[in-house]
Amino acid sequence: MFQNRAEALALALPAALFAAAVFLVPVVILLSDGFRGSDGGWTISAYTDFFSNSLNRTVFLRTLKLGALVTVASAVIGYAAAFAIVSLEPGMKGRMTGLVVLPLMISPVARTYAWIVILGRTGIVNEAFQFLGLTEAPLRVLFSETAIFIGLLQLFLPLMIISLISALENMPKDAIPAARVLGANWFQVFWKVVLPLTKEGLVIGGTLVFTGSLTAYITPAILGGSKVLMLETLLYQQVSVSNNFVSASVIAFILIVMSFAANILLKRVATARNKQRAAQ
Amino acid sequence: MTARSLFIPLTLLLVLAFLIGPFLIIVAASFSAGETLNFPPQGFSLRWILKVFTVESFRASFGMSLFLAIGGTAAALVLGIPASYALSRYKLPGAEIVRTVVSAPIIVPGIIVGLALLRYIVVPFQVGITAALFLAHTALVLPYAVRVVSASLDNLRSDIEEAAVLLGSSRLGAFFRVVMPNIRGGILSAFILGFVTSFNQVPVSLFLSGPGVRTLPIDMIAYMEIVFDPSVAALSSLLAFLSIGIVFAAERFLGFSRYV
Repeated sequence: MFQNRAEALALALPAALFAAAVFLVPVVILLSDGFRGSDGGWTISAYTDFFSNSLNRTVFLRTLKLGALVTVASAVIGYAAAFAIVSLEPGMKGRMTGLVVLPLMISPVARTYAWIVILGRTGIVNEAFQFLGLTEAPLRVLFSETAIFIGLLQLFLPLMIISLISALENMPKDAIPAARVLGANWFQVFWKVVLPLTKEGLVIGGTLVFTGSLTAYITPAILGGSKVLMLETLLYQQVSVSNNFVSASVIAFILIVMSFAANILLKRVATARNKQRAAQ
Repeated sequence: MTARSLFIPLTLLLVLAFLIGPFLIIVAASFSAGETLNFPPQGFSLRWILKVFTVESFRASFGMSLFLAIGGTAAALVLGIPASYALSRYKLPGAEIVRTVVSAPIIVPGIIVGLALLRYIVVPFQVGITAALFLAHTALVLPYAVRVVSASLDNLRSDIEEAAVLLGSSRLGAFFRVVMPNIRGGILSAFILGFVTSFNQVPVSLFLSGPGVRTLPIDMIAYMEIVFDPSVAALSSLLAFLSIGIVFAAERFLGFSRYV
């Protein structure tokens, strides 16, 4: 440890000042705009206005709903996938983990675009359904909540799987056999043994997936179109179509509060875990 | 036992099909000979792959994205390496504040960063489009740069540079001759992570892009809204192979995943 404070500040300040000027100050001003009345005083009227509009309420609830659904679905699939991967031999395990992580390297635009080919009017799903005689007119899967759900799940599932893989690997190896010997069925093993022991990984993965889904722009923009909006695409419309900066500021504040809340929850779980360890 | 032995390959097959299948379809569609985007592709040709290189706007936006990814990441490292060094080796007053401010752009959604920058920096100070995008991408990459470089500094014992200073080297000399060679892998990893993050970034640049000046992903979204031919698929596959190639090479030669 070097003690020279002036030197330390000289090294750290350029980065801190840059981030403050380019990022922190503008964002704080943007957020405060939503609390300013036309007379310059502080007010929450922008928020009551925002939520009195039924379209805004629909978009807000849809964003929460899709975030929750994607998180739950990725947890369910994530546990199955992580279990399967952890039970492989080491070499195979590494390769499979690599394949799960691989999509994260690919541009989200490319990954989302693929769903147009699959879900579009002349896409694979429709061709197959029509071929099988399940439907006569092409189904409209694209530009729907279903399409956004599928796109978001594919985008964020890898984050959940890798969080759960490391959680499962840190679990004591004999916990499951011990529970089985003592007569627990597979459901009890999962609910009473695996879930409590991997809670931390589940919360980390869940937070990443949930905040990622809430704040995704590309997926709702491409797969939801201009009709099925989420908060991010609504924000974009408010600015570029209606020039409504107050409403944009309200949406920004809601998005930031929700991401921060999720991150605080994450920190809490982590510290509770550390305390528990310290107590043992 | 048979149910269980079936469960593992079946689960893996389904999950991988869901995660990687769409990408394989995009690759297949980009070799189509047909006029519209379709799967299974009609015939086989390289026409769409070749067309990508002739679309003028793709060339311009690719150049812009490349410039932002390389320049922005380099700028973030120039700011981030000294800050990481101060955080890791000095008793820095307000260290927590510095750490929070520097890593905050990662928590706030990109679209908000872009909008705030546009309204309160770009418009009032008359910043040009390219400069604005450059500032935004630097701020975006800074958290990654600090995190990865800090991690590799924390893994390096600090007594070797203290020894160098005791033996008469200047602090600066000790940094460049002793510390830098030891954290080169971390810096390169930070560069690659920053490059990929910046290159694939969309929301930050949405409001900052202007007439004729766009990043490649935004250009692709604009193009696919108008034209429904396989050229975006072709471009997507080319980009995907490029980034997979970069990350694969980084893992192979640097052990990338140790740092990230």
